[in-house]
Amino acid sequence: MSQPEPIRVFSVDDQPLIRGGIAALINDEPDMRMIAQASNGHDAIQKFRQHRPDVTLMDVRLPDISGIEAMIAIRSEFPGARIVMLTTFEGDVEIRGALAAGARGYVLKHIPPGELAGVIRRVHSGKKQIPADVAARLAEHLSDESLSERELTVLERVAEGRRNREIGELLGISEETVKGHVKHIMEKLDAHDRTQAVAIAVRRGIIQL
Amino acid sequence: MGHPIRILSVDDHALLRGGIAALVATQSDMTLVAEASNGREAIQQFRTHRPDVTLMDIQMPAVDGIEALIAIRAEFPDARVVVLTTYKGDVQAMRALKAGAQAYLLKGLLQKELLDTIRDVRAGRKRIGQEVAAELADHVSDDALSPREVEVLRLIAEGNSNKLIADRLSISEDTVKGHVKNILSKLGANDRTHAVTIGLKRGIIVV
Repeated sequence: MSQPEPIRVFSVDDQPLIRGGIAALINDEPDMRMIAQASNGHDAIQKFRQHRPDVTLMDVRLPDISGIEAMIAIRSEFPGARIVMLTTFEGDVEIRGALAAGARGYVLKHIPPGELAGVIRRVHSGKKQIPADVAARLAEHLSDESLSERELTVLERVAEGRRNREIGELLGISEETVKGHVKHIMEKLDAHDRTQAVAIAVRRGIIQL
Repeated sequence: MGHPIRILSVDDHALLRGGIAALVATQSDMTLVAEASNGREAIQQFRTHRPDVTLMDIQMPAVDGIEALIAIRAEFPDARVVVLTTYKGDVQAMRALKAGAQAYLLKGLLQKELLDTIRDVRAGRKRIGQEVAAELADHVSDDALSPREVEVLRLIAEGNSNKLIADRLSISEDTVKGHVKNILSKLGANDRTHAVTIGLKRGIIVV
């Protein structure tokens, strides 16, 4: 019987130590091979074109564009690309964004190395892979209404310590309209006040500091 | 040449420990003697192995890296510990350095920087990553929040009004107001929401 071709893996992470850990793990598995690494989103897109990996492990937070943006760019060019997000970040909003953008898996970096190899194999064989801890985080907010673009803009200004009147002036809308947005934001995030709304939004990955 | 530098690596991410192990294995003057995945294990492994240099993450389950650092140095005052973290905030860095860390580096660093730091720290030198040094310099003249002010800020972040905070801490609402005023002034914040944002960014509170 002939040996099947090894799974060609591509790793995108801005931390060289993490890439080193992934490389060590992959190269220990007889059926996989690390074929390329990238440390930012633009580099990822370019190297994907060059190497056409079977499975890509992509960090969400990269120094230039986000891992989700890099994935969208790659998948618009290569719709069959199999990309697993591998991240320390577990805000449900980013998880949802990644899955909506076509991620085949979403795995946290504290995954035991042996399990990561399993994820790579399953994603390579065409399955999706969402571990229980990530699924639970997602399910918690599944029925929540997400913030509108405008509400997001308002919330970012609130986080900077701006008053409703100031926000109104900045966005060219009335203070009353801003108040309405803030009220909806608090309802959607289930927050007692604007301050808690900001704290919740940071935790859930709706806004970043 | 003396014996190789004996290293203990502490991080809850096995992938990162794997990266460190792979890197150290390429160096003839270093050897990895043990690993730990949380602060409590780190303390035990330190006692057992007495490493020359310990690489310590901060955010870990059970006992965090700074608590482990304090415990280890209480027992072994000469312990040399390199904190290796994703936290850029100056407050965490200050906590670590005050607790006796010889170096404070961000995980995004290049592998060569880590190797150089391990050798430097073994030789008794200190080292602070550039980005962290800049953060520290930015806030060097700031007045730090008192433990009570940090507590108040945490309660603000949870959406408590001054009155609720007063009830929780069994102090008067006026005292809370005074704390809030001091917090805003120390952090240079426009309002309580801004204070929470700054507190999160600088690592004074976490969500």
